[in-house]
Amino acid sequence: MKIRISREALLKPLQLVSGVVEKRQTMAILSNVLLHISQGKMVLTGTDLEVELTASILLEGMDDLDGEITLPARKFLDICKSLPDDAMLDIQIDEGRALIRSGKSRFNLTTLPASEFPATEKIAGAREYTVAQGQFLHLIEQTHFCMANQDVRYYLNGLLLELRDGGLRTVATDGHRLALCDVAADIVPADISQIIIPRKGVVELSRLLDDSDTPCNLQLNSGFLRITLGDVVFTSKLIDGRFPDYERVIPRGGDKIVVADKNILLHGLQRASILSNDKFRGVRLNLLPNLLRATVNNPEQEEAEEEIDVEYNGEELEIGFNVSYILDALNAIKQDQVRLVLIDSNSSCVIHGVDAEDARYVVMPMRL
Amino acid sequence: MDKLWERAIILVDMNAFFASVEQLDRPELRGRPIGITNGAEGTCIITCSYEARAFGIRTGMRLREARERCAHFQVIPSRPGRYVAVSSAIMQALHNITPEVEVFSIDEAFLDVTGCQRLLGPPEQIARLVKQTVYEVSGLYCSVGVSGDKTTAKWAAKQQKPDGLTVVPPWQAAERLREVALTELCGIAKGIGSFLAERGIHRCGDMARLPVGELSRRFGNLGRRIWLMAQGMDPSPVETRIAAPKSIGHGKVMPPATTDREVILDFLDHMSFKVGARLRRHQMVAREFSIGLRADTGWLGGQYMLSVPGNDGGQIFRLCRLMVERHWRGEPVHQVQITASDPRPVDGQLELFAAEEGATGKGNAVMDAVNERFGEYTLTPARLLRRGGMHNVIAPAWRPTGHRKTV
Repeated sequence: MKIRISREALLKPLQLVSGVVEKRQTMAILSNVLLHISQGKMVLTGTDLEVELTASILLEGMDDLDGEITLPARKFLDICKSLPDDAMLDIQIDEGRALIRSGKSRFNLTTLPASEFPATEKIAGAREYTVAQGQFLHLIEQTHFCMANQDVRYYLNGLLLELRDGGLRTVATDGHRLALCDVAADIVPADISQIIIPRKGVVELSRLLDDSDTPCNLQLNSGFLRITLGDVVFTSKLIDGRFPDYERVIPRGGDKIVVADKNILLHGLQRASILSNDKFRGVRLNLLPNLLRATVNNPEQEEAEEEIDVEYNGEELEIGFNVSYILDALNAIKQDQVRLVLIDSNSSCVIHGVDAEDARYVVMPMRL
Repeated sequence: MDKLWERAIILVDMNAFFASVEQLDRPELRGRPIGITNGAEGTCIITCSYEARAFGIRTGMRLREARERCAHFQVIPSRPGRYVAVSSAIMQALHNITPEVEVFSIDEAFLDVTGCQRLLGPPEQIARLVKQTVYEVSGLYCSVGVSGDKTTAKWAAKQQKPDGLTVVPPWQAAERLREVALTELCGIAKGIGSFLAERGIHRCGDMARLPVGELSRRFGNLGRRIWLMAQGMDPSPVETRIAAPKSIGHGKVMPPATTDREVILDFLDHMSFKVGARLRRHQMVAREFSIGLRADTGWLGGQYMLSVPGNDGGQIFRLCRLMVERHWRGEPVHQVQITASDPRPVDGQLELFAAEEGATGKGNAVMDAVNERFGEYTLTPARLLRRGGMHNVIAPAWRPTGHRKTV
């Protein structure tokens, strides 16, 4: 089998699918990408058994080619990257070897038979939905940073996607803080209303999606989520677990309402956090009439204090937080003005943009 | 007044500590060759008196060999509790001389007396005060080394034993160490020693020839420290803060070849209780616990995680039940061990989905307060009453202060 393809056509799809290939693998086949050629098309596939990505490339004038093989992903990609921009590659597969020729370069790579490559899952009885890419990206960007990482509560190491009447919602939490984002979309939920996308899938997705109105197609059943974006197909296993009842931990009826300029608050807290304890990142907030005072200290007895002008006319309150959690939320909020709603020093605080409750952040305090 | 030393460090080393305590408490043992063993069953000498050392008997020697060297050698089982009490009293008294005391082991301490020179006189005079203080509080002799850094002070203390006092003014340190073999210094072990020997560096005086970069490239900051140490300029401070423990664990030998599930669970329950109590004493929590049972073929068990970091014995014991469920197939086992492998200070961060805390946390706080005041096991979960009369064993790394508060 002989394939002729330009570096330009090959590089981007190859980069995409190589992204999911883990650097260290126990199964040799998983370090490879699958090349499936038929009907004038080459489909590249990479997988780590949790997330799978495929990308197809048109092969002009090679309609009668038919075959499949796997090549070491990393080496194949590095070769493509290092060739000159306008290079043409001739790939010849013979007796278990792949010979790549381009100009005066030749590379002889080992291959593994395509039959060993984990087959793409068929998604049985899938529900299908269509959303704008930009909306899906927004759902991820507003929440993904609150996902847990290697938590024993494995269902927290992912992003909850909830299908609601007329919209989609994502929720992420690590048990200390929570992010929630809603978008309106043409959704009529069927039997499945909640799925948990694993962390790695979320990271890959955020790389694939762009901020456009281009529609993407969602297919899901209880085990898988597949998203088709033109020539690229993303498939992820879902986390089989029950996401905690997040509605229960979103506080209601907070009467201490602070309105602040997001950037002033963000920068003030960033400066104060320089002297916070590297591990605990504790910050003490004092709410005073139209003033938020942030104080921070560390085991070396160093101290920082920031006075931030805010709108506040409630009772005085002292409360401690992990400053990183607050900064993460402020960084995600797109509005210029933010609202912090508090109850007391032992209850969680809700943060959202003023006049924008589609993205909300709940942060549990620290006892300082 | 003499000129003040820029740094003045004193190392106090109790002479043949455990043996000296026994000779102090039992006058009939004074002047006799005695050796201490770990409890009545110990077969190895953990310390011996100077009289025994005269026969060539040393720490680590088997009893049989010691008896071959000296027919009237007498073996005394150790009494850890007593040594701890004496050590604690000595360390406390040293704190009256300066607060900057680093308890280096049960029978050694560094004192930084740099700031006491105007108050207490020249370092040599302070060293005499140290010896006198130790004698007054314990009736025991110690060897003392005085210099401008920890390494030289420690080396100096070894020069005259027992009951010695060796002063090496900092400006003479490099000169005095010049002919000393590097491996004699505390902290230079075989690995680094042979690395240096390959480069022709055998004595402290050779070190200045070696570019410091050679050592730092291979050993990092430790290398830089060793380079300075050999030249009488050890920069390490007397560490009065107690480093946070890297792990907190308890283990126990069970009756030989235990196959009774209830007995195994009782031992695990007891160790869970102890690990939990010690985590709480240090205001720490942990999430990962390695739980093991020693069988003939090796350790059974593995790493178990709590969903949220905790310090409750009951919580830890639930992990133990899981371990027994998964790994124990009825084989005879001899030992249990539970180690919290990632202890960290309680950070005060509240949980969104808290379920466990509350009553348990408050109960533990009350129990800890009662036990702190009236002694270990005054208040204990009823299920632990079955496990009574267990003797504690002293660990070599035990220190009177720090995260090991009990033996």
